Amino acid sequence: MSSFEPRQVDEVTWEIPASARSDMRVPARILADAELLGAIREDRSLEQLVNVATLPGIAEAALAMPDIHQGYGFPVGGVAATELPDGVVSPGGVGYDINCGVRLLAAPIAASELAARREALAHEISRAVPAGAGRGGSLNLRGPRLDRVLEEGAAALVRGHGLGTEDDLERTESGGCLAGADPQKVSARARERGGPQLGTLGSGNHFLEIQRVERVLDRLGAEAYGLEEGQVTFLIHSGSRGLGHQVCTDYVRRMDAALGRFGIELPDRQLSCAPISAPEGRDYLAAMAAAANFAWANRQAIAHRIREAIARVLGGDVAERTKQVYDVAHNVAKVEVHAGRRVCVHRKGATRAFPPGSTEIPADYADAGQPVFVPGSMGTASFVLAGRDGSMAKTFGTACHGAGRSLSRTAARKQIGGAELRRDLEARGIAVRAPSNRGLAEEAPLAYKDVDRVVAVAARAGIAAPVARLVPIGVVKG
Amino acid sequence: MYRWVEHTGELELEIEGEGPEEVLAEAATALRELLGAGGAPTGPATRRIVTAQAPDRPALLAAFIEELVFLAESESLVPIGLRRVELDEGLARAEVEVARADPPHLVKAVTYHRLEFEPAEHGYRARVVLDV
Repeated sequence: MSSFEPRQVDEVTWEIPASARSDMRVPARILADAELLGAIREDRSLEQLVNVATLPGIAEAALAMPDIHQGYGFPVGGVAATELPDGVVSPGGVGYDINCGVRLLAAPIAASELAARREALAHEISRAVPAGAGRGGSLNLRGPRLDRVLEEGAAALVRGHGLGTEDDLERTESGGCLAGADPQKVSARARERGGPQLGTLGSGNHFLEIQRVERVLDRLGAEAYGLEEGQVTFLIHSGSRGLGHQVCTDYVRRMDAALGRFGIELPDRQLSCAPISAPEGRDYLAAMAAAANFAWANRQAIAHRIREAIARVLGGDVAERTKQVYDVAHNVAKVEVHAGRRVCVHRKGATRAFPPGSTEIPADYADAGQPVFVPGSMGTASFVLAGRDGSMAKTFGTACHGAGRSLSRTAARKQIGGAELRRDLEARGIAVRAPSNRGLAEEAPLAYKDVDRVVAVAARAGIAAPVARLVPIGVVKG
Repeated sequence: MYRWVEHTGELELEIEGEGPEEVLAEAATALRELLGAGGAPTGPATRRIVTAQAPDRPALLAAFIEELVFLAESESLVPIGLRRVELDEGLARAEVEVARADPPHLVKAVTYHRLEFEPAEHGYRARVVLDV
């Protein structure tokens, strides 16, 4: 239970003042309603957020999205912007799964038309996309071919391997490629871990879902995104696999060793960091960009395999007309300009949510705002949101990324068995493919907060507005 | 002796041992439980020399566990026993019995969050949080 007592600022904003602990440089600010705040106070989330508020160069406040939960170093659902040139960049503020993110595809078919082919589609997707631990990707790129992925991201697969379309790139955050990536800053071990894993889903909370658009909540937004009620969508949740994990590991260690040289004292070693202007900071940003590009390529490869599976089950025409709605990162650090200041925005379990009119989003979405995807837990609803002006004023252009865990994996397993959960989901018309019942139970819906409540807080805060509610009809678990 | 502690998002491991070498041995046993949960090994036991380097004792524990995690991720080898552990200034060297298995729940990384490996009343106490 947290010892911090946040004071209420408005109906969905709470604040721990900078005076609450002597090493805080800025306040800690939380977007939540009273019920979510109660859950947030049950673990170390607020203590971790206060620790983030001590980072050198942090601007405005350490911010928590409504889906915040305890992580390591930074809380999951945490946002920190540090001012250039001498504010710090912290690898732990991005996390090990660099550019973990979500891609949504929209198919030109209604769920009612799938009928008996729903099971076949889930089965075919589970065969096409390697899931679970370790290796198994069909690309297995090394040397210069891997370098090209690290430099160019999703475009390397679209243009170099024919996996996807230019339209996919247009509808991806940053075009699927972060500038400044340098493969030379990625270690040999990171390459060894990641190379064979390109095009694989991974384990833990990663998953693919076949969904139905249950309800359109904003007609104009849904039209812009090409979504309508009853339509089938495919949601991909994965990241940079072992390559990103190793990049983070390498730079947490390197910066930890250099803290004394920079005169930085931290309340938690996992917050290890370096000035953005220092060689350690610059090298990390170059390696992180390479890992982020690998993640976009990974989701590009997965999307291509899904389209191939769709072609086999529903026909080539349906596959060809299955369009990408968007692809967003929710673990990344990006240099952006906010209120005239150049800042490095760390989003750890948080999604960029730029409003209508932003030049950073596809022209087709200029009036609607940037799509933001908020997957619920496996078996519950997910949301498509649109970025709103409030995000620029309050959260450095950021919104939430999911429901947020409320139970540990062990506690989830104690409450429900994997086999029982599988039966429950199937009884509700959700086809399930999962490599292990244990992993299935750990990601049970009861382990997560109420995604509807999280989205409602984001909307009330004015940072993002709901566009559509999606419900699962098939789950392929990592 | 080791135990898994409740953590909302990740896995937290607490270890106690009479000496620092025993703490590393217990860490290997915990990894065996975690990575070997997919079932019995599918191949014969072999031996590997695992070495880790770090600037201080807590970081050395993290580096040692990382090496075991890397063996599991890169070669599907899980630890089934520890033959010998040597600890020196900033260096750990262990002869580890490993066997091929189907690790179900791979660890993404070994974090520095709340990392500890310190002398305690009856030996040594350590804590490490794993990102899963």
